[in-house]
Amino acid sequence: MVIRFVAAAMVLAAACLSAAEKRVLTVWGETITADSKGLDDVVRTFESENPGVEVRLLGMGAGGMNPQKLMTAIVGGVPPDIVRQDRFTISDWASRSAFSALDDLIARDREEPRGVRPEDYYPAAWAETQYEGKTYGVPIAADNRAFFWNKDLFAQKANELRAAGLDPNRPPRTWSETLAYSRVLTELNADGSLKRAGFIPNYGNSWLYLYAFQNNASLLSEDGRRATLDNPDVVESLQFMLDGYEILGGKQNSERFESSFRGAENDPFLTGQVAMVINGDWMLGQYFRYKPRLNFGSDPAPVPDDRFAQRGRFADEEDRFVTWSGGFSYAIPRGAKERELAWKFIKLITSLEGRKLDSRGQDLLERSRGRRFIPRVSAHIAHNEWLVETYTAQDSAYDRAFRNHVALMPVARNRPASFVAQALWDTHVRATDSALRKEKPPEAALKEGSQRVQKLLDEVLEAEKYPVIDLRLPAGIGIGVTLLGVAAWLIWLRRQPMGRLARHESNWGYAFVSPWIIGFIIFTAGPMVASLFFSFTQYNVLTEARWVGLENYNDLLNIDRSLILKSFANVFYLGLVGIPLGLAAGLAIALLLNTNVRGMRFYRTLFYLPAIVPGVASVILWMWILNGDPSRGLANIVWDNTLAQWMGVRPPAWLGEEHWTKPSLIIMGLWGAGGGMILWLAGLKGVPQTLYEASQLDGANAWQRFWKVTIPQLSSLIFFNAVMSFIGVLQTFDNIYIITKGESNGPNDSLLVPVYHLFQNGFTYFRMGYASALAWLIFAVILIITFAQFRLAKQWVHYEVEK
Amino acid sequence: MSLEWLMLLGAAAFWIGAALMAASLATGLKWRTEPNAAERASARRDTLLLLGLGGLAMVVGASLPKNQLETAVGDIHLPLAVPNMPLLAWFAAIFAVVGLSRLFGLVGAISAMEKQSRARGAAVWLGLAGLTFWQATRSDRPFEVISGTLPLTWGALLGLAALLAVGFGVSLVLAKSAAQREAAGGVAAHGALILGSLIFAIPFAWLVLTSLKEERDMSNTDGMVWLPRIERQHPFDDPERPFVEAEYEGRTVRATVTGLARGEDMLSLQVERPFILSGRAFEAPKSETKPIQRMVPVVEGELDGTKVVGFVARELEGGDRQVEILEPESMKGRRHDFGPEEVEPVMDSGARWQNYTEIFEWLPDSARGGFTFLWNTLLIVVLSVVGTLLSCSVVAYGFSRLRFPGRDVLFNIMLATMMLPAAVTLLPTFLIFRDLGMIDTLQPIWLPTFFASAFNVFLLRQFFRTIPMELEDAAKIDGCSYLRAFWQVMLPQIKPALAAIAIWTFMGSWNNFMGPLIYISSPENVPIAYALQLFQTDRGGSFGLMMAASAMATVPVVLLFFFAQRYFIEGVQLSGLGGR
Repeated sequence: MVIRFVAAAMVLAAACLSAAEKRVLTVWGETITADSKGLDDVVRTFESENPGVEVRLLGMGAGGMNPQKLMTAIVGGVPPDIVRQDRFTISDWASRSAFSALDDLIARDREEPRGVRPEDYYPAAWAETQYEGKTYGVPIAADNRAFFWNKDLFAQKANELRAAGLDPNRPPRTWSETLAYSRVLTELNADGSLKRAGFIPNYGNSWLYLYAFQNNASLLSEDGRRATLDNPDVVESLQFMLDGYEILGGKQNSERFESSFRGAENDPFLTGQVAMVINGDWMLGQYFRYKPRLNFGSDPAPVPDDRFAQRGRFADEEDRFVTWSGGFSYAIPRGAKERELAWKFIKLITSLEGRKLDSRGQDLLERSRGRRFIPRVSAHIAHNEWLVETYTAQDSAYDRAFRNHVALMPVARNRPASFVAQALWDTHVRATDSALRKEKPPEAALKEGSQRVQKLLDEVLEAEKYPVIDLRLPAGIGIGVTLLGVAAWLIWLRRQPMGRLARHESNWGYAFVSPWIIGFIIFTAGPMVASLFFSFTQYNVLTEARWVGLENYNDLLNIDRSLILKSFANVFYLGLVGIPLGLAAGLAIALLLNTNVRGMRFYRTLFYLPAIVPGVASVILWMWILNGDPSRGLANIVWDNTLAQWMGVRPPAWLGEEHWTKPSLIIMGLWGAGGGMILWLAGLKGVPQTLYEASQLDGANAWQRFWKVTIPQLSSLIFFNAVMSFIGVLQTFDNIYIITKGESNGPNDSLLVPVYHLFQNGFTYFRMGYASALAWLIFAVILIITFAQFRLAKQWVHYEVEK
Repeated sequence: MSLEWLMLLGAAAFWIGAALMAASLATGLKWRTEPNAAERASARRDTLLLLGLGGLAMVVGASLPKNQLETAVGDIHLPLAVPNMPLLAWFAAIFAVVGLSRLFGLVGAISAMEKQSRARGAAVWLGLAGLTFWQATRSDRPFEVISGTLPLTWGALLGLAALLAVGFGVSLVLAKSAAQREAAGGVAAHGALILGSLIFAIPFAWLVLTSLKEERDMSNTDGMVWLPRIERQHPFDDPERPFVEAEYEGRTVRATVTGLARGEDMLSLQVERPFILSGRAFEAPKSETKPIQRMVPVVEGELDGTKVVGFVARELEGGDRQVEILEPESMKGRRHDFGPEEVEPVMDSGARWQNYTEIFEWLPDSARGGFTFLWNTLLIVVLSVVGTLLSCSVVAYGFSRLRFPGRDVLFNIMLATMMLPAAVTLLPTFLIFRDLGMIDTLQPIWLPTFFASAFNVFLLRQFFRTIPMELEDAAKIDGCSYLRAFWQVMLPQIKPALAAIAIWTFMGSWNNFMGPLIYISSPENVPIAYALQLFQTDRGGSFGLMMAASAMATVPVVLLFFFAQRYFIEGVQLSGLGGR
């Protein structure tokens, strides 16, 4: 009886406790999808092992290369407990003090069954988690790249291949063989466009990095202090890519072909549009899903001829083939509230036990859908062995392909683990792009990129040469000056000769405008001074600030000049083309709606509606309409059935094609042109009818009346709109952020705009100094433009004489 | 290359000819209706001239060489050509046209001074054109003519007729007779309005249509599926995989029975719906579950030479599907294994409303079925509107009706802040809110609205100034304080302007994206606009769901617009912004 009572009380107490102490473990960068049962199983296991804990998985735009929100959350003191992070950028974040080192925990729990042991992982994967000798992440997934070749196409072209001295029953193994195979397998249409590509050097997932690794090129010097993106070995690798594109009629020709590629079951490798491709292990599952009986081979990617022959500078090289491996790691952000719990979760999910749990879950899911489970390569050595044994020991193309990927893991290289890893990557993408498009010679493109990275390296490595400043000092001075200013103003006020009534009125006047004055000081003047001050410093909030003088402006105007010029050129394009069109469209609509026709209310509503659709929804809608795939996007469906039929013009890829991204944005903007209509309508109503009557008597026709009466009468409104629109366009951000998901600058930087660049530097990386300097540059440009507009306005804006 | 430019010339000649023909219709009408004989004669001359010139241009244009695309012999093909050149070259062309028109204007100039100014203008424009063109040639984009032919089908004929009608309308509007003009004006205006509203409505229609489509109809290589269709489904009691409804963590779920657990009374279950819980395995007493039928897809294919329709009884390894036949009657109940490409799902016309409900199946518990997002948005919107109205009207009143030293200086400073890009203050403001401990709350988003914004104050000040001073003076003589005069006398006078500002603020804060993007980190505090973007990054691949979500985010503002349309449009017109 008593025992029962006690037991009941205990259960009750436990229930109360667990209800009160519901702990939440927040993980960013993981999302539950229809295909994530394995992950869900691990989470359930963890929750059942730790009663009262709720694991919350959130995408939050993290997990990719540029976790948008991560820094704002860490700086703001509300970080997630765990973040799943693209591994090669770990040192980048560690160098900003954004992650906390895990060495104490690793050492403490080494011997536990679930403990984290470096030797369990491939060296390439583990190396990426290190920064300055400390460990900042635990590898979870890995990937690597292999060479897929379509055996059916090789068989089809067997005679031609043999005629060229090539064996149709095996893949190419060297760079020159690859080019030779590609020459035979590539097919052109009569007009020079591609019908089938043998091998596209930068399609799939190779990037310049793979070719550079194969060529034993280093992108960073051994000690990590010098960017060597422009060394001859890298240039040679880039030259190989250029040669590859030459066969396809150039990069642009290939790009036009690639823009017709589709995904899923119409993947170009599955449809035979591409005969050979370098791609990652993650493609296997997708290929299997749509073509389980695909006849293909998976082999190591071809290497430089000397390497394969193991001669010349490769004479002592053990590994004939190399690949590169990326992947994800779990890291614990600085300031995480549940560090111990987070560690417990990481231990479970990264251990062999957790990995098996995940794989079993996925296997179950696939089998419940009637499909086989094709695993992904893991960073955990024993896990990979288990995967091969359990799931891919058969003798099918897919089994062999997976085993090939696993076999390549030991010869995988990793991207340099440096705090400039991300910048190095972005820069190499940009340099490759401009070299392949032949905008710059390979050496020049790589050299420019190398300098940019060097600058970032120096910023950190030579930080000591700049003096540390205590921000409390300038802040104190700022507040002091403000208080003094307010006091001086008050004294000045008291000194004003005023009567009692006037003083009463003055006091009330100040009382009424005080909300604005307070707001101005706190939210405008203060921040302005602060940002001006920051623009002379190097400061990321988490580490101490350093005074660098004009260094940030120097960066903007010299090292990043081409980027900054491009970003301003992009907004000027939007402004010079978009604003006149927008104004004209708004005015045209208003003129139409200003006539006296029936159903005006209906028309007015229709024209105005697009302007009130929430920006995010409107951009999403237009991204769908402008989808480059002519079987999906409305614009291209129409184009395909009209212009393409009549004139043979292929539809553009809109947001996916360099020269069409900005026109796409302008079209999106024009859809909302009805929003301006109301102002125009008000303006038109304000034009005195007598002017029209007088001009009519003078024999002016409608066209003349429009140009000689309406336009001059509206000129001040046009001017106001033009000025405000330009200020607005210079600050374009939302739609570009939504289109690019904050992850890229659009094809060949065609969507790079100043505020977006500022946001990326300011809020993604908290480079406060650089971002503030850029902000002031934007301000300066706005001032110049507005001033110029006012000067020009004197010539054409017609103001009513004040009465 | 030269052939292409010849083609361009030909196409231009053809279409200019067509325009001239259209214009001749208008003069022809005048010729037939004009009462004045002299005018009639001139109209006759014009008509014949235009007809002759137009016809000639069309014939010449159509006979100039076309590109190789043209194969048909007997058919009529209309030439089409468009120069494809860099944007700068287009600018150069525009400048050149302006310059040339100035140059032609020289002939008509009356005074020497005018001549000089026109010559200068022409020189400047032409110079600019040359410079731009030179710059354009430096870009790598090709100069080329894209040309083709438009086969004279019924559709093209219709388009041509429409073009003629538009040309006709334009020339009528430009015509000199008042009666013609009025009649034509009305028709033209209606035509343009209908055309315009169609263009503006199409994206909406596309949004709605897409939001009701099946995922497989989003893309179709055999031609677009315009109207939504749904996959036909068949209820099926699978004895091997029973389907039940059960309770799981307080939610009703549908789950597959995977086996018996711990004796006969407990079932092992695996959740299928809602999506966010799919794959979860749990156990439940048999008595607490309710067997339901599973809806499985109906497919059609060919078996032994006959067309059969059946439902998918089982998905097999390697993409095969076991189908139990429903039709024809003679084969009913028979099962057969089909390969992956041997069967096609049967589609019926209908809308897939599930896109709208499935979004909610993806939301975690913390979103409380999306209400959290709505609540956060409403909070921001209401507080922003209140804050803006209060602060802006108070400050505007101070600036417009009260005299105090330094007023004009302060007002000018305020106007100048309109030019300040938000980017300058963005980062320090973030740090301020951080020090106030307001990160990941909604406060940074609505709090600043309580400190007045320049544009709205400016607007309201203009409005206050139109109210006669006497009104306020009378109140003050009655012993009213400034506060009461403001609240009871002045505020009611500016209601329309306040309404307009309220609506703008509503829309601005409903759509505010950058604020939440910077300040919000946890799902409990996310408003709708940002939730939509997060949904897009997580599940952008499901187009039907994305479109349904977009449609739902749009509905509230559209509703507001319908109810407050009067204020939207009249508020602005009254607010004194019109023209001045």
